[in-house]
Amino acid sequence: MTLAQIGIFAALGLLAGAVQTRLPRRWAMLALSVLAVFWLQPALPIRGLDFWLPLVSLGLSAAVWAITLPSGIRAERRDGIAGLVILALALGVALTRHLPGLCCLTPSRPPETLPVLIALAAFVGLVWLAARGFGRQPWTLHARVAALALIFVILKSEPLTGAAAAGLRSLAGQNPALAAPVDIRWLGFSYLAFRLIHVLRDRLSGRLPVLHLDEFLTYAVFFPALTAGPIDRIERFQKDLQADFRMDATRLQAAGERLAQGLFMKFVLGDGLALFALNPQNAAQVQTGGWAWLLLYAYALRLFFDFAGYTHIAIGLGLLFGVRLSENFNRPYLQPNLTAFWNTWHMTLTSWLRAYIFSPFTRALRARRWPAGPIILLSQLLTMLLVGLWHGITWNFIIWGLWHGLGLFVHNRWAGWAKDRPALPPRLAALGGGLLTFHFVALGWVWFALPTPQLAGRVLRVLLGGAP
Amino acid sequence: MTQDIQDRLNAYITAQIMKQPGRTLGADEALISGGLIDSFSLVDLALFVEESFGVRIDDTELNAQTFDNLGQLAALIQGRI
Repeated sequence: MTLAQIGIFAALGLLAGAVQTRLPRRWAMLALSVLAVFWLQPALPIRGLDFWLPLVSLGLSAAVWAITLPSGIRAERRDGIAGLVILALALGVALTRHLPGLCCLTPSRPPETLPVLIALAAFVGLVWLAARGFGRQPWTLHARVAALALIFVILKSEPLTGAAAAGLRSLAGQNPALAAPVDIRWLGFSYLAFRLIHVLRDRLSGRLPVLHLDEFLTYAVFFPALTAGPIDRIERFQKDLQADFRMDATRLQAAGERLAQGLFMKFVLGDGLALFALNPQNAAQVQTGGWAWLLLYAYALRLFFDFAGYTHIAIGLGLLFGVRLSENFNRPYLQPNLTAFWNTWHMTLTSWLRAYIFSPFTRALRARRWPAGPIILLSQLLTMLLVGLWHGITWNFIIWGLWHGLGLFVHNRWAGWAKDRPALPPRLAALGGGLLTFHFVALGWVWFALPTPQLAGRVLRVLLGGAP
Repeated sequence: MTQDIQDRLNAYITAQIMKQPGRTLGADEALISGGLIDSFSLVDLALFVEESFGVRIDDTELNAQTFDNLGQLAALIQGRI
């Protein structure tokens, strides 16, 4: 989000705060979230794609809502109204193509109206069938999880994204030879997919509450959390939506403090540090260890201030609308060990992975009476490998994931061994552990920040005092 | 009944997870947020609860928001027996 977009959302939040009744606030949040999906999407070179991708985000969310309705429960009138509101808004955005010169919500001119109408009709058909009870069997839920994972793989793998871009360019009548992976930048899909998979998995385990379409859509594409999380849990989010909300001085102050903190962290500290943080250009030029460490420290701090600052902004905007989004960071660089680091860095992602990857995998092996050591090693490696791949399917992200998976395993074993053998006073141990943890994490960022193993290897050699 | 559940949980956690048999945990002592039980041991605890009480604790519930002390875990089990 840009500063202007944050300002407009904050102003709308203040307006919403003036609305004291629950009903108009709920619908206003749905409408804003739907429109923001189009508005926040960056421009793409493939004709019409910056309209189609947001539309698919909405369609996917509505389809997942419909197939996760509990058996015996059918859509109600309220859901029908929500569906009409979403359709009207999407069609309204599409029709702005006929209003040249007027402010558009999409970054480029929306596609022609007929294909939009056909797509909307197809989505309505799918959602209607599912809402009537068709396609709600467990295997179809598993198939949806697999489909979301497949889209994920395509978007995170440069060769596959490039191939998909070439195909889409051909469909749009553009030259496929000019296709590039950056042609498909689907804003918010990483977070949307995790929210939808969470809902599908909780439906399968019978733990999903009954949700209305307006609640579900607002949760899935809630604009403060659309671009960079947090990944909230739906039952918690629903409680906030259903609670009475009164904007008062305390809430306003809390929201203002979070917004101010976030803006300072992201746009002053984060963007300031970005000027000399490690990047592919300076990584190829740095010659001495001192400079290399300076670039790396700047990168580590920049990443934290940028991401944690963004979370403050998202939480501040959420508070203006009566939603307290989950916290995502809790002083991660001041933690005494790697396990504590991962319990305080991008907390909603690690909670998600713990709930849907680590714990089920560990439970399955543990139930087969596997010994603890190999299970912990495999579970940590698998989980952290997936965290790496979530950022992109590249060798460097794989190495970064394995670096942390191994680190977590070693810490786990060390903690068990050292529990009864305290060698240092607790304060000194915490200080030493903190420094070691920070530098372990910082060295891992070398793989994360740079695109190729060769470049990362060069920087690591310089960092450790070797020749470039 | 809840006290009995708490006693059995206390015996399991102190002996098998913390390796400190004989220790008594307070009913409101923070287990997860206090760092006494890590995410791997939480899975073991869930399996123990399933075998001992016939109550399944879902993977999505293995966190401090759902239960963070013996009292909360015993109440959760009691509610599902």
